Amino acid sequence: MKKALALTLGIVTSIGGFLDMGALATSAQAGASYRFQLLWTIGLATLLVIFLVEMSGRFAAATRKALPDAIREHFGFTFWLVPFFVLSLSHLLVLGTEIGGICFALHLVSGLPTSFWALPVGVLLVTFLWRSTFNTIEDSTSLLGLITLAFVVAAVSHHPPMKDLLAGFVPTLTAEEPLKYWGIAVSIVGAVLSPYLFYFYSSGAVEDDWDSSFIGVNRGIAALGMGFGSVVAMGALVVAAMVLAPRGIAMDDYHQAALMLTDAFPFWGFLLFAVGLGVACLAASLEVALSMAYATAQTFGWNWGESLDPREDARFGAVYTGAIALSSLIILVGVDPLKLTLLAMATEAAVLPFVALPFLILMNDRKLLKEHANGWISNTVAVIVLLLALVLTVVSIPLALLGGGG
Amino acid sequence: MKKLDLTRDLLDMQVVGRDGTKMGRVDGLILELRGDLPPRVDAIEMGFAVLARRMGPRAERWLAKLRRWSVRRTASQRVPWSKVKAIEPHHIQIDLDALETPAFAWEIWLRDHFVAPIEGKREKSG
Amino acid sequence: MSTPKIHFEMLLGRMVRDPDGVAVGRIFAAHAEIEGGDCVLREFLLGPGALLERFGFPLGRWRPTRVPWDLLDIADPGHPRLRCSAAELAGRRP
Repeated sequence: MKKALALTLGIVTSIGGFLDMGALATSAQAGASYRFQLLWTIGLATLLVIFLVEMSGRFAAATRKALPDAIREHFGFTFWLVPFFVLSLSHLLVLGTEIGGICFALHLVSGLPTSFWALPVGVLLVTFLWRSTFNTIEDSTSLLGLITLAFVVAAVSHHPPMKDLLAGFVPTLTAEEPLKYWGIAVSIVGAVLSPYLFYFYSSGAVEDDWDSSFIGVNRGIAALGMGFGSVVAMGALVVAAMVLAPRGIAMDDYHQAALMLTDAFPFWGFLLFAVGLGVACLAASLEVALSMAYATAQTFGWNWGESLDPREDARFGAVYTGAIALSSLIILVGVDPLKLTLLAMATEAAVLPFVALPFLILMNDRKLLKEHANGWISNTVAVIVLLLALVLTVVSIPLALLGGGG
Repeated sequence: MKKLDLTRDLLDMQVVGRDGTKMGRVDGLILELRGDLPPRVDAIEMGFAVLARRMGPRAERWLAKLRRWSVRRTASQRVPWSKVKAIEPHHIQIDLDALETPAFAWEIWLRDHFVAPIEGKREKSG
Repeated sequence: MSTPKIHFEMLLGRMVRDPDGVAVGRIFAAHAEIEGGDCVLREFLLGPGALLERFGFPLGRWRPTRVPWDLLDIADPGHPRLRCSAAELAGRRP
């Protein structure tokens, strides 16, 4: 019974983990500019992330250690240094993106500028993390996150042409403005294969006291959680394709996206969009900030844990406080949230090989994982992820600068 | 006679104090060169200064400059080998209390300057 | 009178050369034994094989180069020196 509850909560939380500013923005952009043509990218990236998240959970359940901890211990500081540095960089940029998302949502409902909300939101996030336990954060944000199902409802209500929709799942390799097409494709992959996602997941599993009996439940959580999250992102793409594309709105500005849900929900659409965006970004900000704190504390061997009293792990608390402060500052000074999102997604794609390689090597360590080490299926996916990641590292940032932003 | 690999089983391992608190990691090892006898591990070292040295002389100088604002009085902490009580698969147990050591200087400083005043204010108003 | 002490971690990754300057391999691991209350260093492991063994990979053709403690002069961690020639070391390997 307890496992069933863990499964349900885990799925709901994972939906929230999948869905963040990056996933929503890149999906909407894809729909606005290329209608259904990029659905295959979301599908492919989801398939890969399901495997990565499953591996991350399996690792934590079998070894009772989180990834940064295990990587420093196994490979040593010198080999962990570069991955840790780029992981932290990615964390900060993504955190800025998520905080920007919350601030933008508040701007939509209040009319006050996005940058105005940076400070209050930063304080709110720090207070929440300071005072809550891991479970409170997981449960509250995940349940609120179900509001994003509005995107799916809206997508269905638009009656998208099934032939075109299904054709979107077949990879199209040539398109108008290929730089822009591939730029968006790459940013979708970066948004879905977020390093913080599978790093956070392992620390979360340790916080939740998982042991090897959770390995089965973990598979369900990974597949269903990421799967459902993916459906919402696809919903956002479809809505953008049905609402924005016909009007020739290319989504160069988030304000254009805000009206996405008003066709399906004439009265509530605007509010639903704002609340859905705000809540998804709230959940993501907490996760990214914590992920940064977990990685830093574990790297240096400090006490860590969200459920600990702040007096016992003050340095852990100082890291997420500092990260939130720094990221809020980015929004406070008026950086455009959309441009920041694209840069953050490109950066996530670029750092993927550095942070995935040690992880995937560890998944094959039989001394550590015993019978839970990777089998040939997981390893095949691992190789695909690494090859894809290497390509992305080279192309992502140039593409973002040349083509992606519209 | 227990065999171990200094890089796999000692270096970069989590260090745990007498009370079970995480104190840091084995960032460095001091070897005593005994001439005709094989070298022995004299002490384990913990601290940012040790890591900076591993990263290179420039990093070391940089950190030395930053330390002016540091709360800790020592840049690194040496724990003599005699204080190492157990080498477990995933941590090293040492016979010291975390609070006895400089490891927790920041924890204590942050607690006294930020956590305690905030918690104290809440108790007064709540 | 105190015995010289060095930082072990500064040895890692350093190239070991023999008295003629021939490169033998980089230090990536070291085996030790607990003897009484002491942790005593027995041998150094050099080369890519040492790294593979440290990371838990199957070794295949890459075996680490083993150097017993008395054949390595580590007084200067930045420049570890083999006390015999590289050829002699290779000859010792079983």
